[in-house]
Amino acid sequence: MLSLLDGLTSNADTLVAMAVCGYVSQPSLRPGHYTHYPDGKGVILPGMFGVVYNAKVGDRAFGWAGDHVEPGVSIAHPDEKSDFALHYLTCIGDEATVMTGLAKGATGVVTGEHARILVDFPDEVNDLLNIGDQIQIKALGRGIALNEFPQVEFKKTSPKLLEALRITRLGNGALHVPVAMELPIEIMGSGAELNSEFVDQDLMSGDRKLMADLGVDQMRLGDIIGIRHADHHFGRSYRKGAVSIGICIHGDSIMTGHGPGIMTLMTCAGGGIEFDVEPGANISNYFRIGALK
Amino acid sequence: MTVTFNEADLVAVSVGGVIAHPGFPALPAEPYRLAADGTPFLLPAWGGIVYNISVGDRAFGWAADCIHPGISIRGTDDLRNRGLNVYACVGNTATVMTGQAQGARGVVTGKSGRFSEQVIVHFPVEIRKKMAVGDQIVVRSVGTGMAIDGHPEVNCKGLSPALFKALPKRSENGVLKIGVVGVLPAHLVGAGAGLTSEGGSLHMQSTDRAALKEAGLDALRLGDLIAIEDTDSRYNHGYLRGALAIGVVGQTDGPRAGYGPGLTVVLTAPKGELGYFIDPAANLAALLALEA
Repeated sequence: MLSLLDGLTSNADTLVAMAVCGYVSQPSLRPGHYTHYPDGKGVILPGMFGVVYNAKVGDRAFGWAGDHVEPGVSIAHPDEKSDFALHYLTCIGDEATVMTGLAKGATGVVTGEHARILVDFPDEVNDLLNIGDQIQIKALGRGIALNEFPQVEFKKTSPKLLEALRITRLGNGALHVPVAMELPIEIMGSGAELNSEFVDQDLMSGDRKLMADLGVDQMRLGDIIGIRHADHHFGRSYRKGAVSIGICIHGDSIMTGHGPGIMTLMTCAGGGIEFDVEPGANISNYFRIGALK
Repeated sequence: MTVTFNEADLVAVSVGGVIAHPGFPALPAEPYRLAADGTPFLLPAWGGIVYNISVGDRAFGWAADCIHPGISIRGTDDLRNRGLNVYACVGNTATVMTGQAQGARGVVTGKSGRFSEQVIVHFPVEIRKKMAVGDQIVVRSVGTGMAIDGHPEVNCKGLSPALFKALPKRSENGVLKIGVVGVLPAHLVGAGAGLTSEGGSLHMQSTDRAALKEAGLDALRLGDLIAIEDTDSRYNHGYLRGALAIGVVGQTDGPRAGYGPGLTVVLTAPKGELGYFIDPAANLAALLALEA
């Protein structure tokens, strides 16, 4: 049993740690495949796949000359079923180890799940990684729960992240989480068609003035995010009073209906979660990795 | 004043498909899908020949998951299916080319999106009884490339000349206004956001029944025209204040999160160039004179 603040305890001592692995990916493009701005203008932009050397958790999510920038190293498994195991078992904060190549033995931290699993390694490790290098993850966290809040469901939260989130119990009995930013439900977009155990849901950044007015454009990769009226237990429903907590796992997009990716960490259909905006609610800060280390 | 468009320049092309069979995941997968509250369910879903649900019937309350009224067709492989899904326009004529209903005529009434990608076609019930899964259907596709005179910012998506002519509409101060049964607020937009707006569908959220009722959308019918607020559907569907999309209710409600009734978007504009007025009779069944 893991003890947290305010007498909260988790079932961390019951969780199973299991190895899953992926391989450093290679960017792929289809011939003539432009990405389109909302007015239709087509461009080619980097960001997904591979080793992104210069965007890390803690860096800005907006303003890159890129699209869906995946910070750090993106890994995938070529076998579909193994890849789904990699996706469904890996949690944010899990430890990753380089098993092959020049950086063999180096360790990093899982920071997100997009179409591939995203891992932060120090710069000197990134420099040594080869496409195809095997990265093994000690997957731990699936099934995690707080003993005092069974109605709050956690997704892809490692014990390390649960400890780091600064979760407390309020006087009114609610669970409290500091977040870097709140997002309005009406801008939650692409990913609504997926189950909520798989990857993220993009915020829709197409209304650029709204992004600036709300300060959403100040978001950083790795930020902890709060969304009201979002029930992410089994898919992504609008439900008045529900609350979901997520993490920004990839950068902005020019595409309509897309934007920085918000991956669900916690959800409660009945509103048992409360949050306040507190600067520094970012895993780069919490784990001392990436840009803010 | 009649609103005109480039009708003489539009190219009519054949796109074909076959009546799709319903599908379930193979063993050892559970046959259940999950409702928004996690309850497993096993219910008829999209595809196939549906005998007792037609355009004009209610969109809610069926023991079903996102049913397509009438019949559903697919291309023979993914690329050909894209050709069918993009070019087929709501209001196009479809003809049965094989089987016992050979020669019968139907009308395209909607399309479905990611994980389904079928074209939904209305045929009279008596014709449906003669049809077989696998029968070939050819759609006389016309509408892609449509441009409305005097309204250059209004984009047409999968809209046939026949439906555009039939739509209740008026042009006021440069704004093209369409008659709709209801208005979907942006917070009730669900699956389909961020996905292509060339074909496919945009579902409304229906988990929160009180919110649906509050928006006046709990009694929608298949074929109803709907305005979607603050939604830019020019290139994908996405949130933009002042933008508007107009869609047709193509599929029924379902229990899954994010998968309320599916809308086939036919018109959109980014900055107030497109508007709406309430017309409770704005339904495809009447507008296209669909034969029961």
